[in-house]
Amino acid sequence: MKRRKFLLLTGLASGSILIPPTLYFVSPGVKQFAALLIEREFKYLKLEPGSVAHYVDDYFAAGGNHIMTNLRWKTMYYLNMNWEDSNLIFELIRTFLLSSDFFIHKTDETRIVRYIGLYNPYKSPVPNPFSYLLYPPDEIGEP
Amino acid sequence: MKNSHYDLIVVGTGFASSFFLKKYLSKVKSDQKVLVLERGHFYPHAERLKVKKGEHSDFQKYEAPWEEAIVNMNTKKRWPFTTGYGGCSNCWWGCTPRFMPSDFKMKSLFGIGEDWPVDYDDLDPYYYEAEELMSISGPEGTPFPRKGKYPLPPHEFSIVDKILHKTYGNQYISQPTARASRAANGRNRCMTSSTCDICPVNAKFTLENANLGVYEDKRVELVYGAQVYSLEVQNDVVNKVLYQLDGKEYQASGEVVALGANPFFNTNILLNAGDKNPLTGRGFGEQLGMQVLIYLDGMKNVGGSTWVNANGYMLYDGAHRKDFAACLMEVNNAPYYIRMERGKWLNIASFRLLFEDLPLYNNYITTSANKLIPEVHFTERSSYTMKAIDNMKKTLPGILSCLPVEKLKYLEPFPNEGHIIGGTRMSKDPKLGVVDQHLIHHQYRNLFVLGAGGFTTFSASNPTLTLSALSLYAADQAF
Repeated sequence: MKRRKFLLLTGLASGSILIPPTLYFVSPGVKQFAALLIEREFKYLKLEPGSVAHYVDDYFAAGGNHIMTNLRWKTMYYLNMNWEDSNLIFELIRTFLLSSDFFIHKTDETRIVRYIGLYNPYKSPVPNPFSYLLYPPDEIGEP
Repeated sequence: MKNSHYDLIVVGTGFASSFFLKKYLSKVKSDQKVLVLERGHFYPHAERLKVKKGEHSDFQKYEAPWEEAIVNMNTKKRWPFTTGYGGCSNCWWGCTPRFMPSDFKMKSLFGIGEDWPVDYDDLDPYYYEAEELMSISGPEGTPFPRKGKYPLPPHEFSIVDKILHKTYGNQYISQPTARASRAANGRNRCMTSSTCDICPVNAKFTLENANLGVYEDKRVELVYGAQVYSLEVQNDVVNKVLYQLDGKEYQASGEVVALGANPFFNTNILLNAGDKNPLTGRGFGEQLGMQVLIYLDGMKNVGGSTWVNANGYMLYDGAHRKDFAACLMEVNNAPYYIRMERGKWLNIASFRLLFEDLPLYNNYITTSANKLIPEVHFTERSSYTMKAIDNMKKTLPGILSCLPVEKLKYLEPFPNEGHIIGGTRMSKDPKLGVVDQHLIHHQYRNLFVLGAGGFTTFSASNPTLTLSALSLYAADQAF
């Protein structure tokens, strides 16, 4: 059975799976798996030590920190899933990038990526990554 | 109420009511008495911001979920709206393109629906006036006839916008919008957050920041918490407006009445008043919107400015409208459509495609067992609309061939566009509609029924500017 088909059948792609209890009870803290997923996805970036853990704390505190969601993070980590397999992972890592200074530094992979506050247009200082505020007209030029 | 009788009673404080009042007050004498009955309350933008930031606001008690204000018989179809001072100006996203001239002549040009009893030229001066009052940002050179500059300059193009504008000229423009491109009239410059329902920096036009001077006018008495549900009619003349306030029954007497609530409530009021027009409440709906994600090969789509950065008209007008619907492209500049592949984070554009729909008889609004709550039946989309989606999927790759497109991904249609259109449609012939070209009820000649409910056909364009211009037009012609 192909992996994608397995995920669909088990419901992981849509987030409706029954997870073996042992997987939950023998695993370390659930947030740790979310952090591990982020570090695995962005292994090519220089993530500031502590930034991911801080982000994950804020991310889970802001919502989605119920038991089924937590169980999924562990399962997804152990199944070696990535953002293409799961909307939950996609949301987690997308929000991490938006909550960091990665786009402020114009996606420069050589710079250290710091978490600067959970992405929220009403509170955080992170601008729209596509915006002219980061890429002014004289910089993008004419086609 | 301060008076026993009023020259004008207006229901609602949204766009339709406020622009109608703006023109009315500019034309009538200083001794006129106007009563405005608002279902909700004043909930200031600053307090809404507090709630968005997770802080407490005493005004939060005034949040009124739209789901509780109507009986929605099809819960898969959503109809979000805001009640309270300023109505949907509190939650709209500020898109203000004009309609195309053809939108008013669907029957004579394409054999579809009915022609409006007004046309583009009738509304043209009122479009200018509404654009001025809202300090619209927009470009010179539009697909619809318009001379001169908008009150504010256009928003910045992204690189993708620049390529498409270079290819299609005036068929692809910076969107005319009520999201300010420059600080003006007490509003800040749009900071591109693409979170416009409650603008984080108060850049979007709302009735609260409008400075229209309407509700401060000494001739106007504004009553909050007044839920209008019916009219007292004698010999086809509306004498009184019936409403509840704090659970008690009230009646207000007036010479002229203007219903400026949304089509759900306007219809409910008319039907409760005994309106027997078979078209009252019938044929309401809205555009169908769906998103296409455009994955770009080696191109960052950067430099854009605001939520809807541009409008594309390449699928809008033409002989095809005999067979299938117009489509307006809204080019989004939303932060949430980033990619996750290494090095490709910003190599994406996202277009929301708005397809016009038709006023179908089986989509209707009626009363419920509760006189305050309308019942909403939306059962079908037209084949005219669905055929346009099929055509779009065939032609869009060619239209976008000037871009380095890697792939296109179509998302499922959205459950709502935030536009409630029709239900009290305009017509020249009383048999074909509910109100005339001045938004006056065909039967009750001292009753205006304002707003997008009066649209004869839907257009693919966002309705707010047009319904605001119609209110200015109606008041100017009638008083």
